[in-house]
Amino acid sequence: MTLRFTNWLSRLSPGTWVVLVLALGSSVIVFVQGKFERTGMPFWVFNKVHFTTYQPFVDRWNSEHPGTRVDMFLIQLDAFERRLLSGFTAGTPIGEILETERRVATRTFLGPEETVGFVDLADRLRDEGLLETINRPSFAPWTSRGRIYGIPHDVHPMVLCYRADLIEAAGIDLAVVETWDEFARALRPLMKDFDGDGRPDRFPLAGWPSNHLFVESLLRQGGGRYFDEDGRPEIDSDLNARLLATITTWTAGPDRICTDVPEQVASGNQMRRDGTVLCQLMPDWMVGQWKRDLPELAGKVKLMPLPAFTPGGRRTSVWGGTMLGIARNAPDFESAWAFAKALYLSPELAEVTFRGTGIITPVKSHWVLPVFSEPDPFFCGQPAGRLFIEQAPDVPVRSSSPFERLALERVKVAAIALRAYANREGKFTTEALIPEAKRLLGIARGEVQSHIDRNLFLDS
Amino acid sequence: MSVPASTNTPTIAHKRARGPVRPFPGWAPWIFIAPFLIIFGTFILWPLLKSLLLSLEYSYGPAHTVFVGLRNYRLILGDPLFWAAVRNTCIFAAGSVFLQLPLAFGLAMLLNRRGLRWRAVYRLIFFAPYLVGLVFASLIFSFIFEKRTGLINRTLHNLLPAWNPEFPWLQEYAVITLILVALWLYVGLNMVYFLAALQHVSSDLLDAASIDGAGPWQRFRQVILPEILPVGSFVVMLSIIGSLQLFELPWVLLTNPTQPVPDERGITIVVYLYQTGFITSDLGYASAVGWLLAVVLMGIAVAQRRIVGARENA
Amino acid sequence: MRYSRLLLAGNHALLMVFALLMLVPFGYMFLSAFRVGGDNGPALFEWSAHGPDVHWEYITPANFIRLFEEPHIVRALLNSIFLSSVTSLGATLVAAMGGYALSKFPFRGREPLTALVLGALVIPAPLLIAPGYQWLYQLNLLDTYSGMIIPAIGSAFGVFLFRQAMINSVPDDLIAAARIDGAGEMHIFFGLVVPLVRPMIGAFLMIMFLGVWNNFITPQVVMQSPEMFPLSVAINNLRGLYGTDSGLIIAGTFVSVAPVLCLFLLLQREFISGLTSGALKG
Repeated sequence: MTLRFTNWLSRLSPGTWVVLVLALGSSVIVFVQGKFERTGMPFWVFNKVHFTTYQPFVDRWNSEHPGTRVDMFLIQLDAFERRLLSGFTAGTPIGEILETERRVATRTFLGPEETVGFVDLADRLRDEGLLETINRPSFAPWTSRGRIYGIPHDVHPMVLCYRADLIEAAGIDLAVVETWDEFARALRPLMKDFDGDGRPDRFPLAGWPSNHLFVESLLRQGGGRYFDEDGRPEIDSDLNARLLATITTWTAGPDRICTDVPEQVASGNQMRRDGTVLCQLMPDWMVGQWKRDLPELAGKVKLMPLPAFTPGGRRTSVWGGTMLGIARNAPDFESAWAFAKALYLSPELAEVTFRGTGIITPVKSHWVLPVFSEPDPFFCGQPAGRLFIEQAPDVPVRSSSPFERLALERVKVAAIALRAYANREGKFTTEALIPEAKRLLGIARGEVQSHIDRNLFLDS
Repeated sequence: MSVPASTNTPTIAHKRARGPVRPFPGWAPWIFIAPFLIIFGTFILWPLLKSLLLSLEYSYGPAHTVFVGLRNYRLILGDPLFWAAVRNTCIFAAGSVFLQLPLAFGLAMLLNRRGLRWRAVYRLIFFAPYLVGLVFASLIFSFIFEKRTGLINRTLHNLLPAWNPEFPWLQEYAVITLILVALWLYVGLNMVYFLAALQHVSSDLLDAASIDGAGPWQRFRQVILPEILPVGSFVVMLSIIGSLQLFELPWVLLTNPTQPVPDERGITIVVYLYQTGFITSDLGYASAVGWLLAVVLMGIAVAQRRIVGARENA
Repeated sequence: MRYSRLLLAGNHALLMVFALLMLVPFGYMFLSAFRVGGDNGPALFEWSAHGPDVHWEYITPANFIRLFEEPHIVRALLNSIFLSSVTSLGATLVAAMGGYALSKFPFRGREPLTALVLGALVIPAPLLIAPGYQWLYQLNLLDTYSGMIIPAIGSAFGVFLFRQAMINSVPDDLIAAARIDGAGEMHIFFGLVVPLVRPMIGAFLMIMFLGVWNNFITPQVVMQSPEMFPLSVAINNLRGLYGTDSGLIIAGTFVSVAPVLCLFLLLQREFISGLTSGALKG
């Protein structure tokens, strides 16, 4: 060789050698460790809290039923959704017992009936009397075309949580408040400007048109709905328009009683701690979050039923929901069904769930458990469980339409636009906003309708 | 690498005189490019072609697929949300090119000054954001841009009491916020490109120019600008292509538990693709969006080559 | 001369301002990682009447301790190191070979292949998720490390970069001389060409490492077993639907960023010179 080739070590930079070493080292470790052997029925959950809560139950089941083990997996919601749908439509592998929530479950109802990969549990539920034992309306989001695809995990009634310390200190008694109008009137005096910039720094209610929870819950509370019984969009009904206009009067204009409080992030929690916002729409699942994230508010907040839109109207609402379904291609349905029942109908789970998250079980017979009547120090000794359970019969029915998510999105767009319109035109009364509300909701309805029309497979 | 003197010199010179093509085994290039071709062909080209077919279909899974021709494309062009995404994406791309790149160039100019100490430190600081990744950046900035309690609103409100403490950075002004975050993330990277280009500008040329009496502005225009034009156009093209494919940034920055997908004020084309594909389960529709975007991007790339090629030949 | 000294000082000042602005988010992350309750917790700094107050009692390493108590986090770190290093090495090798072929061999098929590579640069990745997933399933590559590594190795961007780098840094005459001297093709490549593009190797290695390290969408699609998740996914999973522990997440992001920063410090010079060697005269 007359050509000198470089000394082989310096052909690559030191950094590259480091990477090489890392690769080799980690490969060795990874392949020595290998994958865990899994032989049981895969049980998919998406919620970390559920994962930790269910672990003892899964362990107990596995020790009592060594032949029909259950292997629980925690799968992040987006991945869960993708894999579930791919499994249902293309046959890729999925779990056999699947706990999922509304957003994902309703998507599986989109195609032809044979692509809904959940087992239709309606007959079993009826035969075993579970349709009476479990709160009947809670099955609604999981029922499509007359078939019931899952056992509900919850009821999710909603009440109002308010800063008793600040409100009662000002001499205001919310027990006499029954409607939203009275609510606004009663709490307006508390809207003070603390930093002298001419803008109030304390607001009665947390909510904003961009907040799904806010808009959807209030519409439902007022009796509005997105789809009628046949699944046709009813988004721009007069009732919806009136409700949306009313909500907008709370979020628009110089006298607005609402402020945007982001959920589950530091800034929102800081606003709650500081008393920047006084009241919050609280579904039962939020109770556990507050106890964990806002321990400073213990003993300062209380619960009461939501003020109604009209005197004598509904005083609760609903948001969210989770169900347990069984995959159609699960080889051993009976064992899966037995496990599902053992888990969801267990009184211990009901108690543990309530203590940990505040969620009340949909199993009516468990509602007499003493845990629900315990005075809760967080809420100044109120029996939180009982307050939620009292609202359970009034909880509005949730739809199972696969286009609901789309409808939610478009209604949110309409709500944001309506607020901007109100600010721009200076119109801050319900009556003045109804025509525009109806127009915007009409656009939303048109868009949802066009999506429904595009769907070549779904025939109601 | 130095080639030691060889007794073959006359032969080489003789061969060089013959022509530039050197003999090599015919199989050689194919062997070298084979691994790439095999993997690329299998895992990218094939799904790509399938997605092209998919874009012409309405699909709910392989078992329920119907050929619908160009219907998806027609529906896309008629969807106001799509046009909102296009609008947002274009504003973002424009902001990136006209805001971020001049800043990167400016920083490079600042760093290029002779005799500057701590150049490496500055370079590392400006470059570090790129290293830490989109997800981290999105997470941190989602906190920084919060209403009322976010660092930015709080600071501005403390400095100027008239500033609205609930300024909606992440809502109404989502696109501007995206531009700012992308700026933080990528200005260092672009700066590095420009800096290297500037450092390659021959100092002899510059000295010759100043001897000829050219002032700093003229030196800039006549000497520096032409030298960095190739790099500049490369960076612009990369920037445009990257901007048009913006996905993870809005996806992490603008979503939260009560807003699982970015709304029309912050949606971009790829977010729209992802969303429609996975909200309506309509993979055909999503594929059509992807192909529309790919066609536009290809057009831009081709245009850039033409422009740069024309300049180089001019 | 005073004028140029002033200019230099002004130069420095501007740079420092920008550098400080750049560092603000890092500072924020750093503080939050060590704070009780993450950024959900009480403020560390208060502006009281007599200037800034630091609440030392709120500083804690608890977030990190809790992070490592999470099952699978250490394993996730290992997975990330494994996936990133193996993928980046493989991709670099394949790309270097591909770039070599396209730049140093005038052969039939070079033009169309180059066009193919350039065209591939503009493919939006989400376009490939759905068909890719089903294809992986058919190939039995779901839930395997190979399913993540192999598709990532065919990087058109890499081939493009190496092609540029070799055009700029590898003289044709050198290769020709080596051939005349009887060197085998492989020997030429590994012994002659590779050292010449050392910077680009470092640069692309870093780019791929970073890309795989921070990628959290593809692993979630391909991997099914939690013990195979990389760090990016594990940390993302710390976000629950009905509740978020931000202290944990920020600590996790911190842990995720640190190794990459270390690697960059090692590969710094190559990275920067490599990147630019590909862009110049490009």
